[in-house]
Amino acid sequence: MNEIPSIPVGSRPYETLIVERRGPVGWLVFNRPAAGNAMNATMLDELERAWHDLDADPDVRVIVNTGAGAMFQTGLDVVQLSRDPDALRVQARRTKRAELRLSAWHNGVRKPVIAAVNGLCAGGGLHFVADADIVIAASTAELLDPHVSIGQVTAYEAIALVRKSPMEAIMRMALAGRYERISAVRARQLGILSEIVDPPEALTARAQALALDIAKNSPAAMAATKRALWAALELGLSDACRAGAAELVAMWGHPDQTEGPLAFTDKREPSWLPLEPPAGAPTGAPNPPAPGPVAHPEGARP
Amino acid sequence: MSYSSYTCLKVEREGPVGWLINNRPDQLNAMTAAMRDEFATAWEELDADPKVRVIVHTGEGRAFQTGVDVHEIAGDGVGMERYRESMENFDLHFTAWHQQVWKPVITAVNGICAGGGFHWVADADIVIAASAAQFFDPHVSIGQVVSVEAIGLLRKMPVEAVMRMAMVGRYERISAARAYELGMISQIVDPPERLREEAQALGEKIARNSPAAMAATKRALWGALETGLTEACRAGAGELVSMWGHPDQTEGPAAFAQKREPQWVEPTGPSPA
Repeated sequence: MNEIPSIPVGSRPYETLIVERRGPVGWLVFNRPAAGNAMNATMLDELERAWHDLDADPDVRVIVNTGAGAMFQTGLDVVQLSRDPDALRVQARRTKRAELRLSAWHNGVRKPVIAAVNGLCAGGGLHFVADADIVIAASTAELLDPHVSIGQVTAYEAIALVRKSPMEAIMRMALAGRYERISAVRARQLGILSEIVDPPEALTARAQALALDIAKNSPAAMAATKRALWAALELGLSDACRAGAAELVAMWGHPDQTEGPLAFTDKREPSWLPLEPPAGAPTGAPNPPAPGPVAHPEGARP
Repeated sequence: MSYSSYTCLKVEREGPVGWLINNRPDQLNAMTAAMRDEFATAWEELDADPKVRVIVHTGEGRAFQTGVDVHEIAGDGVGMERYRESMENFDLHFTAWHQQVWKPVITAVNGICAGGGFHWVADADIVIAASAAQFFDPHVSIGQVVSVEAIGLLRKMPVEAVMRMAMVGRYERISAARAYELGMISQIVDPPERLREEAQALGEKIARNSPAAMAATKRALWGALETGLTEACRAGAGELVSMWGHPDQTEGPAAFAQKREPQWVEPTGPSPA
């Protein structure tokens, strides 16, 4: 992929992230390697902007999220944030109101997102594993959640992981805190991730190749599929199937639905329509007040 | 703190780890009405003891637990009718989850776990097993319905495996190795005699974490099984915020920076439901 040029995405430069496009693949790279890629106030702001820039760029079909250096992501940079009371206050309010804007899911991203875990993923870093559509990892990657070892509660990231993977492993990670880690091999067995890349240096190339494969699929069909499947985590089975049926029918009449079968019979690559730019506000999230891309008319049904 | 005297269970404490041991080994730890009542008390007592930070549940003999004592059901002239009201009202009290225990609970499966024994696999936070452990659910083979314990398992692990076990009944068993692959358990102890030693070590490790933070985390994560993802995250945010201002939240980072063991606030009495 050396021959594919890297083109910056977005109208303003980034300080703590690398946000660029290589062919149809958008890259969001945590870029504070000296701090384990921990999220400082600037990164918290830039993450929201980066997801929206990548989602809005019609040339980006798939997004890869990884980290620069030896670690993937190690959560909030508590030391830096404690010196920045304004940023801390914003984050506290968003946490309290369940209005986080860290991950693709929080920001209502419609395109497929691959997390490529290049090394240690700790604590709040698990948001980006839990909220990705696809997760692959370097063989050296490890997951741990030290929150309870320093007197903090784990919620969002582990709640999503509980819904997506066998619960016992997540509960053990949450309660064992800093005293245990989940290896890449065990994470793959458990289905937390689907592929281990060895040697670890090959992760970037493999993520790009996987993303190029996915980028060959219909953007509109993938967006509707993504909405339908994430809704399965919001609703009971029958309700989720009803909502999924609506997503399915919404594609009927879309040009991709005739182009796909035609290209297949003609034995050529299909020419898909790019996704429409996100509707409405610049935040772009279909349901701005809540984390997550799924409109949830049913509300809580405890 | 001294515990009540029990006839069907052993309840004791070793360091920060409370032990609840099924103690009807000759009946494969099957649950009589008396044992059922003792479970309710045992969970309450272990939850109330401030010296207990983590609870381990295991069994004496070659079985962990094998459900309801069928001999009692068949012979006492009352049968399952004894439990009708508690089932119709879903008002059960024999697992840590039923009793709203918010301390971490480790189930250490020492041998056969059959039928109703899955209640304590489904309702534990962490499950480890001796290499000799075996899992099966014979309910439908003796004309009984499986529901509550299998429903819990379905939400926590791959569905097909649970459904197969429920339908195949007594004619197949899941090995400890397969249970590990499926993520039903997180650790296999071999040789099996070392199970209690390993469970104690795991309990002591977990006991080093903040009791208040673990209780809130446990409520947040079990909440994930109750509602949709977005709602569960909102409820989890409530648990998260509830720790703000708690002394453990400053003690934790301070102890980490000073490279010493943190001094957590002692839990007082049963954790809030």
